[in-house]
Amino acid sequence: MKVNHTTAKRIFAGTMVLGLSALGLTACSTDSGDTSAGGDVTMSLWQNSTTGPGQEFWKKTVADFEADNPGVTIDVQAIQNEDLDGKLQTALNSGDAPDIFLQRGGGKMAAMVAAGQLMDITEGISDQVKEEIPEGSFIANSLEDKVYAMPVAVLPGGIFYSQDLFDAAGITEAPATITDLETAVEKLKTTGVAPIALGAKDAWPAAHWFYFFALRECSPDVLAEAADTKDFSDDCWIKAGEDLESFAATEPYNQGFLTTAAQQGAGSSAGLVANHQAAMELMGAWNPGVIASLTPDEKPLADLSWFPFPEIDGGEGEPGSILGGVDGYSCSVDAPAECLDFLNYIGSADVQKEYYAAFNAPPVNTVAQEAVTEPYLKEIIAAYNAAPYVSQWLDTVYGQNVGNALNVGVVDLLAGKGSPEQLIQAVNDAAKKA
Amino acid sequence: MSVRENTSTRLEVDLANGGDTGTTPVAPPVRRRRSSSVGAKVEIAVLVGPALIVFLGFVIFPVVMAAYYGFFSWQGYGPPTDFVGFRNYITIIQDPTFQEALTHNGIIVVLSLVLQGPVAILLALLLNRKLRGQSLIRVLIFVPYVISEVVVGTGWSLMLQSNGAVNGMLEKLGLGAFSQDWLSNPDIAIWTLMVIITWKYVGFAVILFLAGLQGIPEELPEAAAIDGASFWQIQRHITLPLLAPTLRIWAFLSIIGALQLFDLVYIIWGQYIASTAGTSTMATYLVANGRNAGNYGYGNAVAVVLFLISLVVALIYQRFVLNRDTEGAITDKGTKK
Repeated sequence: MKVNHTTAKRIFAGTMVLGLSALGLTACSTDSGDTSAGGDVTMSLWQNSTTGPGQEFWKKTVADFEADNPGVTIDVQAIQNEDLDGKLQTALNSGDAPDIFLQRGGGKMAAMVAAGQLMDITEGISDQVKEEIPEGSFIANSLEDKVYAMPVAVLPGGIFYSQDLFDAAGITEAPATITDLETAVEKLKTTGVAPIALGAKDAWPAAHWFYFFALRECSPDVLAEAADTKDFSDDCWIKAGEDLESFAATEPYNQGFLTTAAQQGAGSSAGLVANHQAAMELMGAWNPGVIASLTPDEKPLADLSWFPFPEIDGGEGEPGSILGGVDGYSCSVDAPAECLDFLNYIGSADVQKEYYAAFNAPPVNTVAQEAVTEPYLKEIIAAYNAAPYVSQWLDTVYGQNVGNALNVGVVDLLAGKGSPEQLIQAVNDAAKKA
Repeated sequence: MSVRENTSTRLEVDLANGGDTGTTPVAPPVRRRRSSSVGAKVEIAVLVGPALIVFLGFVIFPVVMAAYYGFFSWQGYGPPTDFVGFRNYITIIQDPTFQEALTHNGIIVVLSLVLQGPVAILLALLLNRKLRGQSLIRVLIFVPYVISEVVVGTGWSLMLQSNGAVNGMLEKLGLGAFSQDWLSNPDIAIWTLMVIITWKYVGFAVILFLAGLQGIPEELPEAAAIDGASFWQIQRHITLPLLAPTLRIWAFLSIIGALQLFDLVYIIWGQYIASTAGTSTMATYLVANGRNAGNYGYGNAVAVVLFLISLVVALIYQRFVLNRDTEGAITDKGTKK
């Protein structure tokens, strides 16, 4: 009997420890200890490529940089993309941030700048890099005329598709309007493949569909205003939700899309495209590299093609507008001066060419862009350069809190658990939790 | 232990005192008694100190800090400055997503008890008899409990995908009509979760019950059998009543585990879609709305609510269910003195 009593007590204490382990997250904070004084410098680098050539690229780039800069050591940590933002925020909060890390820009970067966590690199960018990387790409990583990250890739979104599967379904032209897209979906269904792969488990790939409909329905002014005020009362937001709802009603997505991940494994949405089980996927320009790592022979998909997001009738948005991020790398405010050298190094044409080769993604450096050979990447770059209006991914623009609510709300909408009105309501509710 | 030692030294002192009928019987013992009680205090401090520091530092301090942060609108950068009173708590209570998560926790608490309890008792009764391959069966039943939650979650989520192994097997068996979107259909996702939870944790219940059964003296069922009781009568009137303390402890563990369920859901449904699939729990709500959304003040408030709910349930259970076992322990201690 006594045993039971003490066991119960111990269990009880254990329970409390368990229950509170989550609370402990916020409890401790230390300052990062590395300085640039003296000879040897060690820096940490967080990047999001966990597979094949992408990871090799970072290892090689760092090794080359270390060879050119004796005394500098960079410790590369590959962090799975879905874990990166959360981990990074925890590290920044605790004052134990990595020295160099992936920067997605937008509202997320603004929060880091507001907290004084990022190094202002405006004056430190080398002239060569300034010449070769267009100013527009720096703007994506700037706030009030100060640059906070070195851009490495332009990653606009659009629909990637398998030419072979389109041919098999008798689709001769890339869909230009949503009606065309719906016709293509019907044709693909008869061939037995999933028309469109969607990794809704990660929420943001589902949300991209809503963002593109919003880009077509809403004027640039409304989009920009929402970024400032977080006010989503304009009619165009509801319309975008209704567009998505009616498109989803044609059941274009792979079965079980709700629990399909975006990038992990053959069962992920990118994996379905890589293995010819789904014909299309709406994604950013990083997708060719992800698909390549998931094909059976881990080589780029031979018949991969691309077309921009289709147009709709009667929207306020400018036709040809495009969504997309500019991936960059930031230095933590406490990072040693060598961090800046490294950023200039990864912006240089030679490293940018290797970046393109490793990630199969359009580099940001114009000299390196000339090395691009894949037709789909050329089309992406052309569409990007021709776009009358370019916006970052909306979850990035609107920051972590609203962006998160938006992403989850879109998944609810697609799963039939919410209406367009409820989606906008959920976004407004999120503001209360901030 | 130290208390008992203290009394025994005092007894020795008194004895020595009584034995010595010579001069000044009072003063020296007092001095000696004081010095020994100081020693005991040092001993208590040394033995309890480290545990107390860990407990205060890693349990009490975080609770206090969470309660403090919960009153702020705070994004986690720098010290919190924007005091909002009870706004976070009001938002939590009014948030339909939280209410859903709480409901799911309630469903999981009840279904865990209802599904695992009877199955585990039957398995334990079966395994308590002489049986060929007994230890192999024991191991097989206990293996799921030993495997890490991450492995279990990843494995099941791969098998249960819409084009995964389970549906594939159903189709090969000609049962294609029964194939389902096990994880992504909100109507059945929580049942899928319950099956996985039962599979994972029933082994733990069985082991607990087996240990409890082994504590029942063989004479009792034997005597009952001689008196003509059937197998089921023996189980009903002798085994189950004697197993009750074990059952109560298991139920307590199960309830607390169900209230705090996080890892399996998070691994299978990921960071975002647990609420859409209808499997969200208070803990996944905490992570989604605290960490993922970057609202650390709000997240701390959720943690406090989760803590209070678990605490209240634990206290009520201890007061009204476990108190029989506790009473026994206290009388036990009293008679020893």
